Amino acid sequence: MEIKIISFGQIAEITGKELMLEATDLDSLKLHLVQKFPELSDKKFAFAVNKKLVNANVNLNQNNVVALMPPYSGG
Amino acid sequence: MENYNERYARHYALSGFGFEGQQKLLQAKVLVIGAGGLGCPVLQYLAAAGIGTMGIVDHDYISLSNLQRQTLYSTEDIGKMKVEVASCKLQNLNPEIKIETHQVELNSKNAWEIISEYDIVVDCTDNFAARYLINDACVLLGKPLIFGAIFKYEGQVAVFNSGLKDENKTNYRHLFPNPPKPEEVQNCNEVGVLGVLPGMIGTMQANEVIKLITGIGEILDGKLLTFSMLNYESFIMEISNENVTENLIPRSREAFEATDYNFLCGISMNNVEDLNPDNFAEKISDKDTITIDVREVDELPKADFVHIQIPLSELNERLSDIKEEQIILFCQSGKRSLKAAEILMEHFGNDKKISHLKGGITALQKRKNEQSN
Repeated sequence: MEIKIISFGQIAEITGKELMLEATDLDSLKLHLVQKFPELSDKKFAFAVNKKLVNANVNLNQNNVVALMPPYSGG
Repeated sequence: MENYNERYARHYALSGFGFEGQQKLLQAKVLVIGAGGLGCPVLQYLAAAGIGTMGIVDHDYISLSNLQRQTLYSTEDIGKMKVEVASCKLQNLNPEIKIETHQVELNSKNAWEIISEYDIVVDCTDNFAARYLINDACVLLGKPLIFGAIFKYEGQVAVFNSGLKDENKTNYRHLFPNPPKPEEVQNCNEVGVLGVLPGMIGTMQANEVIKLITGIGEILDGKLLTFSMLNYESFIMEISNENVTENLIPRSREAFEATDYNFLCGISMNNVEDLNPDNFAEKISDKDTITIDVREVDELPKADFVHIQIPLSELNERLSDIKEEQIILFCQSGKRSLKAAEILMEHFGNDKKISHLKGGITALQKRKNEQSN
């Protein structure tokens, strides 16, 4: 199914702010992301599914929104 | 009303805050680390609000390029220490509070002593080494941490380690367990910033401090807010503490003090000396020393001292060009020179003495501007 992805900061400069990708779980989504945007492989960012930080693999459903959140350090 | 103070009349009048809220602020001790873009609004609003004791940590001078966003400082302050000017201006703003200055670069040797004196810590720094250092110290010392950071037109705010939900304490490492290497992120000097953004994010940090102390509203406890100044969109995500961070954070004061956070963040290397602009200026005229610009050809500003140029991209092929005993490397910001140092260390090992200009030619120019003011 198609999953909505929203990106922030430096990651959005690579992927654009929003995109849709086919995936059934977070691991397959990560794989598709890196295939589509090889630059992401050496970038640091966290995943949030429906606004909750996720570390392990989780199944994704039709209405899930996955956020790609990089660390900011400026001050 | 006993202890009535006209200065705080608008706080007293505010329902849900009142005299009691003000008393809590007056009893609080808050440490603000970094008196730059984020630090200025945090310091100004907290001093005005009557935080009883405020600590300021900073080791930097005021430079012309700061003034576009660091609103505590004036043109006449260029070249002066930030802590001194900040403390003076804040004390004028509110002579009734206590302001303590710590004119040091926070590191793992001095952080414990400084942070342990305060109830709440506000991270207004501008680099990952400092952010991980402060995070770990706050976890070990059990201090609530108000985090703020910016990137281009966006900012992040979070409250860690609040102690409000004991079983569910979160810290920055739950979100990003390990510091990124310099090449994985861009820093602010390189990407620029519009002055109002740190103003907005810093004001949000000050707001979180006041809410945490007085108990009003809902703080970003274990939540990360990301805010865009371009369209006012904000995104709040919950940080779970599933990631195990125990193994990443030093276990004791001793282990913490032995940790080199610059090294962890790839900002410094073993056996490669970091030179500040003053040391650099002295060392480049040493005997048997070569100074190498590792920037690509045509990058500006040109260096106005004796040096040769070997762009980082060609360094591997041109290693045999380097005959001297001492090698001093520089680039724009200090990142590529460190990368170059890594390559040279691999090739020469400890046969040659390798150092690099920390902060790059940008830091060198900044220092020159300070001296001419």
